Amino acid sequence: MKLSSLRYLTKEGFKNTWANRLMSVASIGVLVACMVAIGLAVLISENAKLALGNLEKQNVVMAYMKDYTWAFYSDKEDNEQAGNAENAEQTETGDDAEQPDENGIKSSDYVIHNEEEAKALCDKIAKLDNVESVEYISGEEGLEDIKKDFLKGQEEYFTFLDEKYGNPLSGAAKVTMKDMSLFSATLQKIEKIEGVDKIQSYGDLAEKISALKKGLGIAGFWIIAILMIISLVIVSNTIRITMYSRKLEISIMKAVGATDSFVRIPFIVEGILIGLISAIFSEGLLYFCYRVATETICATLGTNDIIKYSDLALNLFGLFVIIGVVAGVIGSITMIGKYLHKEGSEFAAI
Amino acid sequence: MSEKTVDLQSFGGENNNTVIEFKDVSKTYQNGTHALNDVNITINKGEFVFVVGSSGAGKSTFMKLIMREEKANTGSITVNGFNLRKMKRKHIPMLRRTMGIVFQDFRLIPKMNVFDNVAFAMRVVGAPSRQIRREVPKALAAVGLGDKARSMPNELSGGEQQRVGLARALVNNPALIIADEPTGNVDPNMSYEIVSMLTAINKQGTTVLMVTHDHSLVRDFKHRVIMLDDGKIVADNLPGGDEE
Repeated sequence: MKLSSLRYLTKEGFKNTWANRLMSVASIGVLVACMVAIGLAVLISENAKLALGNLEKQNVVMAYMKDYTWAFYSDKEDNEQAGNAENAEQTETGDDAEQPDENGIKSSDYVIHNEEEAKALCDKIAKLDNVESVEYISGEEGLEDIKKDFLKGQEEYFTFLDEKYGNPLSGAAKVTMKDMSLFSATLQKIEKIEGVDKIQSYGDLAEKISALKKGLGIAGFWIIAILMIISLVIVSNTIRITMYSRKLEISIMKAVGATDSFVRIPFIVEGILIGLISAIFSEGLLYFCYRVATETICATLGTNDIIKYSDLALNLFGLFVIIGVVAGVIGSITMIGKYLHKEGSEFAAI
Repeated sequence: MSEKTVDLQSFGGENNNTVIEFKDVSKTYQNGTHALNDVNITINKGEFVFVVGSSGAGKSTFMKLIMREEKANTGSITVNGFNLRKMKRKHIPMLRRTMGIVFQDFRLIPKMNVFDNVAFAMRVVGAPSRQIRREVPKALAAVGLGDKARSMPNELSGGEQQRVGLARALVNNPALIIADEPTGNVDPNMSYEIVSMLTAINKQGTTVLMVTHDHSLVRDFKHRVIMLDDGKIVADNLPGGDEE
């Protein structure tokens, strides 16, 4: 198609939009409502993901180690299990039996004897697939953390306990996972590593968070898909009405030898124009609504942990433009295609 | 292939003196109506032909088949070198660009002035603006409306509106003009004027096919007359009274 024709047809598309301004305004109004709803769905979903992500990050797993403290506090049977292999070997070779210390614990009763072994265990855990990071927390550090986090004002009492009975906490590996949906499988792998005693975790919470995030993603997708279909129907309807109001022109066009694309282009331009105008209005309206809503929420909850509109502004505008343009192009092509193939008559009386 | 240089042979057409040729053409609509039955007719370059017949005789179907708005069930149709039976839908615009159409109800676009209504036919075929500015005044002058270019259709009489329609049909220099009862909505004097204009155009070599109910026009303008009745050609009178 020649450039002059394209220019003429684009101009015609603009003229048509203005000529059918009442219908165009109505379509823009409904499209803006759809786009704002889509934008809100995206913003709510992103904020929920952020909040869940924060929760997820806090949900670390503590893998306690079979060290001296563990041997001291656990049942005799457990200690024997841990040291069975070594004892058997010693018996077979006829070495002298190992002497227990003042607490009755032998070196073979536990697995992790020093900080190096503890760190080596942490390295083993870190090599597992779904593990993001591992930090070694000694029994002393663990106790300090508990005092700091949970026992404010009662530190003295616990110092007393500490002095009298010693630190009851074993050393632990503080494990952060990459994907919480693989939580259980990773947990099982950690438990199988020699030297790991018990694992303290909030497995249920982790999996619930993971499921919730997935659910939010699916819900968001369907909301956007449904609203996109609504947008498409709205634009198609506007184009159809415009088309019938231009029946005479179309019949003359076809009678004098216009190609289908020549007939289509002004309608496509009109569809795109409606989509673009709607995208601009939606962006503005959504920005205003989001700002008001977030200011109120932040003031009420006393938090600033919320996604800024500017972080998503460009993406949302891009999404609106895509929705508008796709709805405009598909809507007009389908409608005019149907008309040209089935209803458009060049010769019969209109 | 550019839109302007269409190779007619590629559409299965024959490039000779024949403008319209119907061979054993029949058309039956899906509702069972037999509109045309075994029609055979040849119209040559430079002829002026009246098509007459009562309502339901098959005139409209005859015209629709020529424009390829409808497809024949049997037989073959050739128009301006295009074999309509073999023709693909996407090539129909090329066929239509070789003909100019004048409608009974004028079909002028009310929101466009006279100039733009005529220019519209040129824009559709992708003519450049300079050519449009040159050709439209010529076409308007040819139908005696050189001074009405800026008038709106509702400011014109019925006869003037039909002359605008005629200018629009002429502006692309078609080889064939199809006029569907062009005098149906104008007074008798204007009817004579319009047919006179068509005759003048025909004398310059353009083939004209005109459907009419007006027997006085048929009688007074001595052109070939094809009479249709019940989907068949019942008479084909050549100018001067000879019957084929």
